[in-house]
Amino acid sequence: MPLAIETHHLRKVFHGRPAVEDLNLEVAQGEVFGFLGPNGAGKSTTVKMLLGLTHPSAGVARILGQPIEDLEVRRQVGFLPELFRFHDWMTGRDFLRFHGQLYGMETADLERRIPEALELVGLAGRERERIKGYSKGMQQRIGLAQAILNRPKLVILDEPTSALDPIGRREVRELIAHLKAEGTTVFLNSHLLSEVELTCDRVAIVNKGRVIQSGNLAELLNPHLEAELRVDKVTPALRNALSGLARILEENGERLTLALPSEDTLPAVAEAVVHSGTKLYALTPRRESLEDLFVTLIEGGDS
Amino acid sequence: MRSLLLIARFTWREALARRLILAVLLLTLVFVGLYLYGTDALLRSFQRRAAELGRELPGQAQLFASATLVLMGMYIANFLGSLLAVFSTAAAVSGEADSGTLQAVLPKPIRRWEFLLGKWLGHLSLVLPYLVLLTLALLYGAQAITGYLPPQPFYAIGLMLLGALFLLTLTLLGSTLFSTLTTGVVLFMLYGLGWAGGIVGSVGALTGSKTLQQIGTLSSYVVPSDRLWRGASVYLQPEALRQVQDVARGNPFVGTEPLGAGYLLWVGIYTLGVLLLALWVFRRRDF
Repeated sequence: MPLAIETHHLRKVFHGRPAVEDLNLEVAQGEVFGFLGPNGAGKSTTVKMLLGLTHPSAGVARILGQPIEDLEVRRQVGFLPELFRFHDWMTGRDFLRFHGQLYGMETADLERRIPEALELVGLAGRERERIKGYSKGMQQRIGLAQAILNRPKLVILDEPTSALDPIGRREVRELIAHLKAEGTTVFLNSHLLSEVELTCDRVAIVNKGRVIQSGNLAELLNPHLEAELRVDKVTPALRNALSGLARILEENGERLTLALPSEDTLPAVAEAVVHSGTKLYALTPRRESLEDLFVTLIEGGDS
Repeated sequence: MRSLLLIARFTWREALARRLILAVLLLTLVFVGLYLYGTDALLRSFQRRAAELGRELPGQAQLFASATLVLMGMYIANFLGSLLAVFSTAAAVSGEADSGTLQAVLPKPIRRWEFLLGKWLGHLSLVLPYLVLLTLALLYGAQAITGYLPPQPFYAIGLMLLGALFLLTLTLLGSTLFSTLTTGVVLFMLYGLGWAGGIVGSVGALTGSKTLQQIGTLSSYVVPSDRLWRGASVYLQPEALRQVQDVARGNPFVGTEPLGAGYLLWVGIYTLGVLLLALWVFRRRDF
């Protein structure tokens, strides 16, 4: 099965200034992929190159194994632009009809699919109204409906929840889970890290037009597992017992901050503490959040 | 092809939904009504004055008056057609690019050339039939009042259509390059340039200045709209009036010489070239 998205040394220069430097990316089919980075990191430019809206200065991008110029591939891709502005003189239904026709969907299939898509984005019953009268959140929802209308294999969502309230955001998370359950690949461009943490299987973090970190979300966050240990007294015997299991990052009286290779080490640490004759008051794992990782990476890259 | 026609149809729906068609038709009705009313009033006043002098309006005078009125009406119709061609097309690409609506459309399974040709076809199918309807209403309305119908009205309409087609295509090119406002301004300045060039050329013909005539000729190759109108006006005048104009020379609003096949060929190739350039620019552009 070809990769959903792959780029090799993708580069885009605007007026002598590189927006995307040298971007290599692989997204397998069926995964929910988070594409993260600070403002101006080249995320939107990358997305536009993936979709053929912007032409790369160098490098290659392939969607489902083919260049995006391939119309057959385009038929299998859905896209919600970041600046979701649509032809607002249309009603929601006419808008979906128009985009369904652009996808080349058959009329009967399209008429069946429109109510489904409206239902999935929570707009059922509003399709006869003009988009002009929709709230921002509703406009983003109709954009989402447009992006999933053709039952795509790959959905690219550029900041899909920017105009949504917390309930809307949760609904989009559910929609993404639904798409994943159907086997759809979702490429999520977002700087809402908590959203990404909740929805994505894998992420890539970009800065200055390069991927600076990518991988399985759990693996990326795991090596940074920290635990706080509180004992009655820090003794050499305790230090001895901990060595080989964990690294002491910080010492503050009876409190130690430990760096652990993984969560599985926690029981061994507890056992070692007890065996060394020290009294154990607390052992609290503190998982680094995606936000911590993000800030570390971006600021580390800047210095 | 399916996508191309979809975009063309979409252009129509947008023009309808935005009430462009309604507004243009209503204003055109007012214009045609006023024009025919004015024609009728003017002709009656001529006849009344002749009657006061105890005479009938001489046939030649009536013919010249009627033909001049038709020329004026068609001049304005040509202007309105050009106006519609420019302003309805100015936003064809830039409007969609600026508002961001293109970003959801272009990743769809549609080729860029299909999109642009669809837009071209859509606008063309709005503007050209409008111009045909308007000119027919004027010509046959005036005939009903004055009894005068130009000798070869369809040649004239054909040339006016070619002029509108050229302006529309050039506007589409502008719209792929610039913002809507810039496109509108640039196109109208070019239109003005062609018009001014035509006047300069007429003055040159009147005064026998070679330089002025050359400027006029050059501008007619760069912006053919004015010269096409002059070519069209030849077919709107009765032979007798043409001879008078020819002797008088230098009427900056009408021509007396039919356009040569070479010039028409140039306009055709030029228009096609502009269209191809627009397709090339649009294909390469980043959105």
